[in-house]
This record gives sequence, structure tokens and C-alpha cells, in this order.
Amino acid sequence: MTARVVVTGLGSEFRRDDGVGVAVARAVIERHPIGPDAFVTSVDPFRDPTDLLDLWEGAELAVVVDATRTGAAPGTICMVELDHAALPGGDASSSTHGLGFAAVLRLAHAMQRAPRRVVLIGIEGADFSAGKGLTAAVDHSIGEASDMVADLIRRAAPCA
Amino acid sequence: MTHGRGQSSRRVEPGPLARVEGEGSLRVEVRDGRVTDVALNIFEPPRFFEALLRGRRYDEAPDITARICGICPVAYQLSACAAIEDACGVRVSERTTSLRRLLYCGEWIQSHALHIYLLHAADFLGCRDAVELAERDRPAIERGLSLKRTGNLVMETVGGRAIHPVNVRVGGFYRAPDLAAIAALAEPLRRARQAALDTVTWVTGFEFPDIEGNYLFVAMRHPERCPMESGTVASSGGLDASPAEFAQFVVEEHVARSTALHARLFGRDHYLTGPLARYAINAAVLPPLAREAASSAGLEGLVRNPFRSIVVRAVELVFACDEALRLVESYEPPDPPASDVHPIAGFGAGATEAPRGILLHTYELDGRGLIRSARIVPPTAQNQLSIEDDLRRVVEDGLDLSDLALTGRCEHAVRNHDPCISCAAHFLDVSVERQ
Repeated sequence: MTARVVVTGLGSEFRRDDGVGVAVARAVIERHPIGPDAFVTSVDPFRDPTDLLDLWEGAELAVVVDATRTGAAPGTICMVELDHAALPGGDASSSTHGLGFAAVLRLAHAMQRAPRRVVLIGIEGADFSAGKGLTAAVDHSIGEASDMVADLIRRAAPCA
Repeated sequence: MTHGRGQSSRRVEPGPLARVEGEGSLRVEVRDGRVTDVALNIFEPPRFFEALLRGRRYDEAPDITARICGICPVAYQLSACAAIEDACGVRVSERTTSLRRLLYCGEWIQSHALHIYLLHAADFLGCRDAVELAERDRPAIERGLSLKRTGNLVMETVGGRAIHPVNVRVGGFYRAPDLAAIAALAEPLRRARQAALDTVTWVTGFEFPDIEGNYLFVAMRHPERCPMESGTVASSGGLDASPAEFAQFVVEEHVARSTALHARLFGRDHYLTGPLARYAINAAVLPPLAREAASSAGLEGLVRNPFRSIVVRAVELVFACDEALRLVESYEPPDPPASDVHPIAGFGAGATEAPRGILLHTYELDGRGLIRSARIVPPTAQNQLSIEDDLRRVVEDGLDLSDLALTGRCEHAVRNHDPCISCAAHFLDVSVERQ
């Protein structure tokens, strides 16, 4: 598939607030018109993380939505344009099961398959225990985060 | 990190071992040029799956145990199904067996491609990890990812999704894929088969340390085909046992340093499962294409050099792609998709060949179909003592190496066996003390 903008919600909906990225991706699809130049999807624990390499093929902009744990107030949204050279190093595959987002992005750059820009939208989580359902503050941030994603899509792919 | 390297005492403590699944460490003691102690300290938290299964329904075992591992969930599902069906006296149809085998081929393809390309090849090529390998040899990593994608596709088509498939049940499947969906796998599998042959050529060109292990090989055997989803258990020492008998022969013991049990045959002999063992037991029944690939790679007779396991694994990739294609071309949907299974009080054992080696399950059911006891013997627990033996040889052979090089060689030796500590604990700081 080829889209100029690829939006990916990361996380597990069975780990409470870790699922907020998936919830935002769903909200973008439900609340905003998405044209052919944009593609919105989720990568959950039942999907191979290296799928991102294929999803990003030919994309100008990748927007990744994920839960964060920085110590900020739950529901706080941050937006960061990622510089792959500044990503944490370490072994690209320290776990056979958990090839992380940073490792996949580094791999994409090594293979010259990375999007030109990668923007991370992070939503601060509070509860990452087993189970379904977001905490209230995190749930309330979904609308604003999905608006931010839609705005990024509009600006990167005006025809969308 | 290296401390105090000198004539009389050396100690090496690198950081956590990467490119294996789970948490553990390795400690090696050397005195007067001889290895006096090797210990794999597995501190992955115990996961209590066997206790968790007690009181659960017989038909929950495949899905519960699949969650032990995201790389080999099919192995857990099919070993659980085999054991429960054995307890209930059920034999599934040949069509169901073929579809299970196709699903298993998908798992072998994705797991072996992952291990060869993203975890293990870097060791042979002097790269820090797969990212550096991708920078140096992008076509190789593209080939590996393409193979992995094909394995995932087979699992999605047959099992419903690539990780933790949802279509497997005791007795068969919830739904048989239609003919068109299976037929669509043929072309990707043809390309994967060629990529697997190219993989054999690629890894055959690696340089291998000249070390051999005196292994007792244990693998499954089947009278008609290369075993994956069923068969008996055979050893290079003459054993030929049903899964239930094998369960009696394997004695596991707890040691303080490990949350994984150590398995010995008859409580005495440590042994090796996995690609080297499968090749030792089943080379003669490999289909022609895989046999030719093995021959072209110079694999003759027993392969006792653990570093050459990557070549055997590549040959198994050829086998899995070729076998999957054969199953696709002869596919007939099982109808009904599952056999009826009525639970009865009793005991059942099931063993299958996971990518890393034999995975044994046993269950004791009560008359209501509730699990009274469960036992799961994963490949890495069976291989632990053989891995320690490998390390002993590797260290003794490499005493002239620098601490850094020796540590790298030890980590490489562990990765030869593609260990999954999360499965077993139910790995790795390295500490080498030289005195």
C-alpha cells in the first residue's frame, strides 16, 4: 500500500491506558474524513511490529500515536518530531518478541524505507495494569489527540 | 565490562545478553585454564501456567498456553490439542492434520526467518545487530523480512492472525479456510521457497568456529513424514517412545539459580532438541528439495557443531516453505472443521516440534472435563544443560581470546540454540571468572 500519510496507533487495549494509541486511531477514522492519501491503522500485540516497515513504504509522513509514561499528568498530550539519529541505541532486537518501535524505525532508516518525517503523538497514561478500559483523564484526551492527528493529515496531504 | 584481567585472575561482566527472549545471566569460572563451573542463571519470573490451568476446562488449554510465547503460539496450541485429544481418545481427520501442519509451517517460517536474519546472522558477520547488518547488506534483511512476512501470512490465513492465532480448537479448527484463501498462499510461498534456498547459500558462506558437542539428540519421528504436529519421540541413543512414555522418561529438577526446570532423560542424561536433533533423527526422510539444500550446504550425517545450527535452520526453512506449498496445492477443507471431543476422566500426552525443539504437554482431566493437573516441558528447559556444556567447550577453546571476544563467543553459543527463556521459565549477563 502507498499513502502519503500513515497514522499508526500503537499499544495493547488489554493493558488499560497502553491502548490509548489504538483508541485514537479508531477515533480518527470515526470522526474525520480520511482521503486516499492517508491511511490509518493500529499495531497491537497481535500484529508483527515489522509490519510498520511495509506500512511506511513510500510515505512522506508517519504519525505514531502511543501512550507515554514521563511523569506528566495523566492525559497530557505531547507531540514530538522524531529524529532517528537521536533515538535510543542498543540492540535492535533485545527481545525476540518485543522488537520495539525505536528499533523498527532504526531498521527502516538502515533500509532506506523510513518516511521523510515521523511525528509521535504521546498521551500520558496512568494505569498500565492488565485489563480493558482507559482511565478517565486519558479517555478525555482522545478527542483532542485525534484532532491533532487530523490536522497533521490535512497539512501533509491537503487533498485528503 | 572487564575487571582485573591478569595472569592469575580475570573477571568479565558484560551487560545483559541481547537477542534472546527473556531474562537471565551466564557465569563461567575458569581455574588453571579449565572451566570449573558454568551456570545459566535464569531469573525470568516464574509464570505458573501449569498451576493456572488447574480447574480450567479442557478446551481452554490451547488458548491459555498459547500466551506463554508470542513466537511459537502454534506449538503451544497444537501440543495442547494433541494432549487433550489423547486424553479423550480422539483422532482428528487427515484433512485437519494437514491444515494444522500448514499452520505450523507458517510458524516455522516466521520464527526461523526471525532468528536467522534478525537475531543470529549478526554474530557471524561482526555486526552489532540487525540494524547494522541492514546498513551493510540491505538485500539480506529484505529477504529475511520477506520470508517472515510469508510465514505471518500463512498464520493469518489459517489461524486468523499472525500472533496468537484464534482459529485453533481442540479437535481441529473453528472454521476451515476456503479454497481461494489457501490457493492465494501459493505464489508467496513459491517466492519464499526460493528465498529460503538463497538463505541456505548465504549462511553456508559464514565462518564457523571449529567446536563440536557430544550431544544426545532427541527429536520426534514419524513413519511417513518429517514430524511437526505428531509422531513418536526418538533419540540418537535408540529411544523410540510415545509422548506419554517420553513424559515418564523426562525428569525435571529445580535448581536454585534458575526459575526454569532442568530436564534430563531418565533423570541422568542431558540431551538436545531442536534443528540439530531433528536433522540427526530425520535427515533421511527430508523431502528431495530440502535434502538437496542440505547436501549443497555440506551437511553430511550428524551435525555436531552447534554454530552450524544456522545452516540446519536454513534447510528447515526450505523444508517448511516446500511443505507448506505442497499442503496448499493439495488442500481440501476439513468438513466438519473440528471433530467432536467429549471429555472423559483420564491422562493425555502430546508432543510437537516447535521451531526450537520438542514441546511436550500432559494433562490429567476429571470426568467433567476440568484439568486436574498439567505439565509443560518446553524446548529451552530441555536444552539448558546442553547449552551449558557448549559454553564449557567454547570457553576452554577460547581462553586465548580477549574477555570481550570470549564474551561475544559465549553469547553467540547461547544464541545457536535460539533459546526462549520466557518459555523456559516458566537470559543474559555473562560473568567469566578466571583464576
